[in-house]
Amino acid sequence: MMCDNCGKNPATTHLKTVVNGVVHENHLCSYCAANQGYGNIGKLSLTNMLASMFGESISSGKPISKRCECCGASFSDIAQSGRVGCSECYNTFRQELMPSLNRLHGKAVHIGNAPDEQKPEETVQDKIKKLKAQLSDAIKAEEFENAAKLRDEIRALEGEENNA
Amino acid sequence: MRNWYETVDLNNPLVVSSRIRLARNIKGIPFPKRMNDSQKLEVLENIKNLLDGVSVEGVGNLKYINMDAVPDEELFAMVERHIISPDFAKKAGPKGLVISENESVSIMLLEEDHIRLQVISGGLKLSEAYEIAKKIEDILSGGLTLAFDNQLGYLTECPTNLGTGLRASLMLHLPILEGSGSLPSLADSVSKIGLTVRGMYGEGSRSHAALYQLSNQVTLGISEQAAIDNLSAIATQIVNKELNAREGLDKKILEDSVYRALGTLKYARLLTSEEMMSLLSSVKLGVSMGILENIDPALPITLLVEGQPYSLQKANGRMTPADRDVLRATLMRERL
Ligand SMILES: [Zn+2]
Ligand SMILES: [Zn+2]
Repeated sequence: MMCDNCGKNPATTHLKTVVNGVVHENHLCSYCAANQGYGNIGKLSLTNMLASMFGESISSGKPISKRCECCGASFSDIAQSGRVGCSECYNTFRQELMPSLNRLHGKAVHIGNAPDEQKPEETVQDKIKKLKAQLSDAIKAEEFENAAKLRDEIRALEGEENNA
Repeated sequence: MRNWYETVDLNNPLVVSSRIRLARNIKGIPFPKRMNDSQKLEVLENIKNLLDGVSVEGVGNLKYINMDAVPDEELFAMVERHIISPDFAKKAGPKGLVISENESVSIMLLEEDHIRLQVISGGLKLSEAYEIAKKIEDILSGGLTLAFDNQLGYLTECPTNLGTGLRASLMLHLPILEGSGSLPSLADSVSKIGLTVRGMYGEGSRSHAALYQLSNQVTLGISEQAAIDNLSAIATQIVNKELNAREGLDKKILEDSVYRALGTLKYARLLTSEEMMSLLSSVKLGVSMGILENIDPALPITLLVEGQPYSLQKANGRMTPADRDVLRATLMRERL
């Protein structure tokens, strides 16, 4: 196989890159490879391999360096150190991080505590459930006035849910 | 109020300490490794304003310490008292600590994460320690937005802490299980259920004082309460194993080794910290088995901490290892 770039010398460097999910293959002679910045090919191909394993898009030869807007880390900074740059990185690189997070934690999803202001919003069903529990407590305690009020609230919410 | 190493839980004398650690970060600020000094100083100032001088129920007043100004001996004495991590003691650059009067609460600022909140107490007190940690976390989240994601939980620099960010640990005294060579297989079996065991006050996985720390590993997909309950249940099983193994000991041989240990501690003129720890471990065993009735049950662990190299130096100034061995022997003689 001859070099894709000059067509004169035999290709000794074979590059696989992924651009928007499409795999491109490049075959270069040692001279053109060095010219295009692939001198240190041993290390670089490993990085490419790792990066494509994590699903990073790499343009032909030159990696698109998406960086976290908060801390400036690129995904390869994270992949190389095993350390995440900041909390925003988990959004910026979520797709790229997910395979390794799944390897660490399985498919687990957080079920522990949450900061008050960031708790997932209560659904109508959650509210109805809570009110029904309060209603049965009120009946047990013979607080009938309170129970009537709770029943009205539950009816209103159930109507809301049926309309939705 | 006393420190963890000055108290003993008479219902669970084999559980030396309970520790809760929460890893938390502030949203929108790089993790410490990627922060510049001015960002670091700003974070420290903000947290200082939130916690310095604040009184917490069941804990007392919190105090902020600028850790850059603390001398190395004091930093490593804090490591010996399990107040801070060795990595934090060695770390260069701006860093801070928030601490309560009896050191049961210690909050490392700008360690691996922005906030490492620790609550430690003597005995089996994980749920109580967690309640205190929650109270302090509430104060923090009143003034800061903590980094959180519905799927991944609390966001941390090291992905292994994602989720609850909770590391719960129990330090157990297991001299007979250790002596019978059961610890490697124990470590192996707890690792299969998401826990780890490691030796404390020793080198590698070994402990000089038969003190072993059992901790949870799993943080994502498990609630705080479940993690704490699991850990306590397994610890109770391990403690029962140790107690059963103690039942089978030859009383005469045991008594002999306990009194020999006490005798050496009482009369030696030079003690290395390794020797001190292994002798104190025998004395602790003797106390919890009712052989030594006149020794305060908390004393063996108190002396074990006070006899550590940096803690000795902190109380008496810098000295050579040989001078420390003399001083350590004197300390044991005076207190036992
Ligand atoms: Zn980032
Ligand atoms: Zn870590």
